Amino acid sequence: MGENKPDVLQGTLDLMVLKTLEGLGPLHGYGIARRIEQVSDNGLSMNQGTIYPALLRLQQRGWIKAEWGTSETKRRAKFYSLTRVGRKQIEAETENWERIAATMARFLAPSS
Amino acid sequence: MDLIRVLLNRFAALFHREKLDADLDEELRAHIDLAVEENLGRGMSKKEARTAALRDFGGVTQTKEDFRVQRGLPFLEVMAQDVRYALRQLHKSPGFMLTVVITLALGIGANTAIFTLVQGILLRSLPVANPSQLYRIGDKNDCCYYDGFQNDNGDFDLFSYDLYLHLKQSAPEFEQLAAVEAGGSGFSVRFGATPPKSMRSEYVSGNYFATLGVSAYAGRPLNENDDKAGAAPVLVLSYQAWQTDFAANPAVVGSTVYVQTHPFVVAGVAPPGFFGDRVISNPPDFWMPLAAEPLIEEANSSLKQVDELWLYTLGRVRPGVNVGALQVKLSTALRQWLVTRPAYTGHGGAALIPRQHVVLSHAGGGIQRLQQQTGAGLRMLMILSTVVLLIACANVANLLLARCTARRSDMAVRMALGAARHRLIRQSLTESILLSLIGGAAGLAVAYAGSHMMLALAFPNARNMPVHASPSLPVLGFAFFISLLTGVVFGTAPAWMSSHEQPADALRGVNRSSSDRSSLPQRGLVILQVALSVVLLAGSFLMTRSLRNLEHQDFGIVTTNRYVLQFDPKGVGYTLDRLPALYREIEDRFSALPAMANVSLVRYIPLGGNMWGSCIIPQGSPAPGPNDKCFAIWDRASTHFLDSIGVPIVRGRNFTAQDTATSPQVVLVNQALARQFFPNQDPIGKHFGLNSPQYSGAFEIAGVFADFKMTNARGEVGRPLFFRPLAQQFTGYKKPDEDAAEKSSMFVNFIILDFAKAPQDAETLARRTLAAIDPNLTVIRFNTYDSAVAANFNQDRLIARLTSLFGILALILASVGLYGVMSYFVARRTGEIGVRMALGAARHSVVAMVLRGALWQVLLGLAFGIPAALFAGHLMGSLLYGVSGYDPLAFFGAIALLAICAAVAGFIPARRAASIEPMQALRTE
Repeated sequence: MGENKPDVLQGTLDLMVLKTLEGLGPLHGYGIARRIEQVSDNGLSMNQGTIYPALLRLQQRGWIKAEWGTSETKRRAKFYSLTRVGRKQIEAETENWERIAATMARFLAPSS
Repeated sequence: MDLIRVLLNRFAALFHREKLDADLDEELRAHIDLAVEENLGRGMSKKEARTAALRDFGGVTQTKEDFRVQRGLPFLEVMAQDVRYALRQLHKSPGFMLTVVITLALGIGANTAIFTLVQGILLRSLPVANPSQLYRIGDKNDCCYYDGFQNDNGDFDLFSYDLYLHLKQSAPEFEQLAAVEAGGSGFSVRFGATPPKSMRSEYVSGNYFATLGVSAYAGRPLNENDDKAGAAPVLVLSYQAWQTDFAANPAVVGSTVYVQTHPFVVAGVAPPGFFGDRVISNPPDFWMPLAAEPLIEEANSSLKQVDELWLYTLGRVRPGVNVGALQVKLSTALRQWLVTRPAYTGHGGAALIPRQHVVLSHAGGGIQRLQQQTGAGLRMLMILSTVVLLIACANVANLLLARCTARRSDMAVRMALGAARHRLIRQSLTESILLSLIGGAAGLAVAYAGSHMMLALAFPNARNMPVHASPSLPVLGFAFFISLLTGVVFGTAPAWMSSHEQPADALRGVNRSSSDRSSLPQRGLVILQVALSVVLLAGSFLMTRSLRNLEHQDFGIVTTNRYVLQFDPKGVGYTLDRLPALYREIEDRFSALPAMANVSLVRYIPLGGNMWGSCIIPQGSPAPGPNDKCFAIWDRASTHFLDSIGVPIVRGRNFTAQDTATSPQVVLVNQALARQFFPNQDPIGKHFGLNSPQYSGAFEIAGVFADFKMTNARGEVGRPLFFRPLAQQFTGYKKPDEDAAEKSSMFVNFIILDFAKAPQDAETLARRTLAAIDPNLTVIRFNTYDSAVAANFNQDRLIARLTSLFGILALILASVGLYGVMSYFVARRTGEIGVRMALGAARHSVVAMVLRGALWQVLLGLAFGIPAALFAGHLMGSLLYGVSGYDPLAFFGAIALLAICAAVAGFIPARRAASIEPMQALRTE
């Protein structure tokens, strides 16, 4: 089936969802999943269904909230949006991720 | 912070499962629909759009499962599932459930009942402030009025008032040091116009309540000012007494009551739940300051007697004090005091002084008298009840194993469908623990009934005893914990076994297998049960024989058909001069009753638990040294007393009507006294006296009577004992306290009624007669002499009955266990037996085969059980009377009983095996 796409880690999926909602505003589960697929340029292997436990987790933590609404195509769907706490969390998580990435980069860089 | 929020969220989600599931369904449907829409927009056909959408989504069911795991609390949900399933299964087999619950209820209930007593007596703390800081100077049980050295090793635990003050002064390490009466007294108390009641009291120092850190519920507690000479007499009532005897009347506080006709003001009422400084079957109804003691005892007072030892000391130690060093300091202070007392330094006593010491003991649980008396028995009962529980567990485990084997195909199917082993084990354990918790709850009812019965048997005359049958929090906790443990113990093995089935094996032909892996543990359990039952049965035989020896021993007195009436002339105000007339009237009136053979009056009844003793000095002997044994107990009795209890005179004469107040002072001595003090001579006509050589000519021995047990029902017969006539008061004492003691000895407390033929209602007759003589003279107690003597053995009786009960329980459980296993054995091998019989085996050989199986288990059980029983007998040795821990009769009895029950238990299934029709058996495959 082509190259092996790396699996998405739990924590990173949470951050992706948060960033998506930050950028696009309130969105339903399908929309978030499609957006993540697009941004990653289909570079990640992810079953769309895995978004739902992640959305629940973020809800339990109080970082996003959910409301039933209607889509553009007049379909009833559950829309998710960031809470104030969630917005603050994005900064913290982003910092965290950048730190990890930088550390990994140092490890992976050719030793001088 | 986050974690709590998440947990709360998850917990809340448990209650909205259905709605949340519906929500998720709708949301996922919407997702798929939106994906289909997009795909249609891209130009796919309807069918392709849907397939692509579903493929991109991934597994819907898997997503839902993952979602649910994230949403709720899986641990709780699975457990709830298991519990519901277990309940359904149990509902389907009510017979099994009932059997198990009853078995467990008996086992857990017995344990909890005994623990109730253990917790109430041995493990509790006094309901006071900071009990861990309380210490007692002294660690033994001596009571109640001593003088001289105590205990061969010099361990002092009784103190005089002067000695207490000295110790208090030398040890500032005590924040407070209180002194309390070692015994306690029963006094007549009158309030208002109601007739006087007998109530228990205790003399305590003024700082008693301050030491314990207890304030009053109403009014005020005693304080130091109440304990000064000349202070107005006050007392503090216990809350219980205030409720029952004074109807919780608030006007009582501040009013006057009459104790032994002396007025006392009720200063206050102690708080509810406070029962004093020790756990005891009759706690004090009121407390009086030590300063009030001379008021009530008058010339007989012990407070001012510097050498009279009658107090225990109890104190609160300052935090951070080294107890060991304090103990040494107190021992030194003790010796300093002893050196100043001629009573201790004279007659070579000085050499013994260096050995005298005190031991500081923890008093958080109060003064440990009852605990020391009952501790060994309670501990033994705890062990025995655990054994019964183990036997019950073995039975339940057997039942579960049988059930598991019957459900093998069930388990096999599950495992074939993919259930994890640990899940099956968990389910099995949940069922076991559920059963055992239900059994435990039922056991609480058994425990309540059991402890109620035990308290009634052990302490029949208890009044306001601070130990209750109703389960307290620690007892409930214990029952819960034991139930949990029991469930795990008997549930683990079956759970383990059931999860180790090979699915294929089981599905292939469950009922056909001839090997039965569960039969070995089942037989092992039966062997265990038999072994434990031997121990319990032998133990119960031993205790029962010991009790019978105690109760039916020859005390040397006759008690059948005699009645004992206790009364208190001193307490209602009789003075010495009125006594002779009173005694005469009592004897006349009671003798006039129909069928009365003998009436006698006595100060203390033999085997009544009380006595009076002194050091006696034969005429011509020097004053005895501290190591000389000069102690003799004595009593005062009317002329016909020895006749009324069937004690023969072996030399000389009995009391006669000629022994009056003015005739020479005579005494009757027992053989032991004659042997000890007048060896190799005729004691008749010899003289002796009490206390000091100057009085050694006081009493003349007129007769010698046969030895009998006066006080110690278990000990040896033969303590020196003498009796003095009612009328004769020795007036020669020089010291006022000696004279006062003599005067108080003139008052008797008991009337013994010897009926030739016991009347229908002896008690009302007796009460009426006494009331006719003087309505103020209330009957304190009236019972048969037999029951008064039997009261000496209340605890032994309780232990014997309980061990017998446990023995019977064990026997029933073991027999049922053996029967169950053998039945099961026969049922499972029906096919095999059918084949054998079809091939020509005779019926009796089938029976023999079954019985052989049973026999092996019993024999192995005995092989383990007998050494264990011997060991148990060895441990029990100290509690037995007149029978050794290795008594062969008890062991043979146990073995025989067990063998008979086992034979019956094995015979029934054997007969069933023999009556199997071969064709039918072969057809049941």
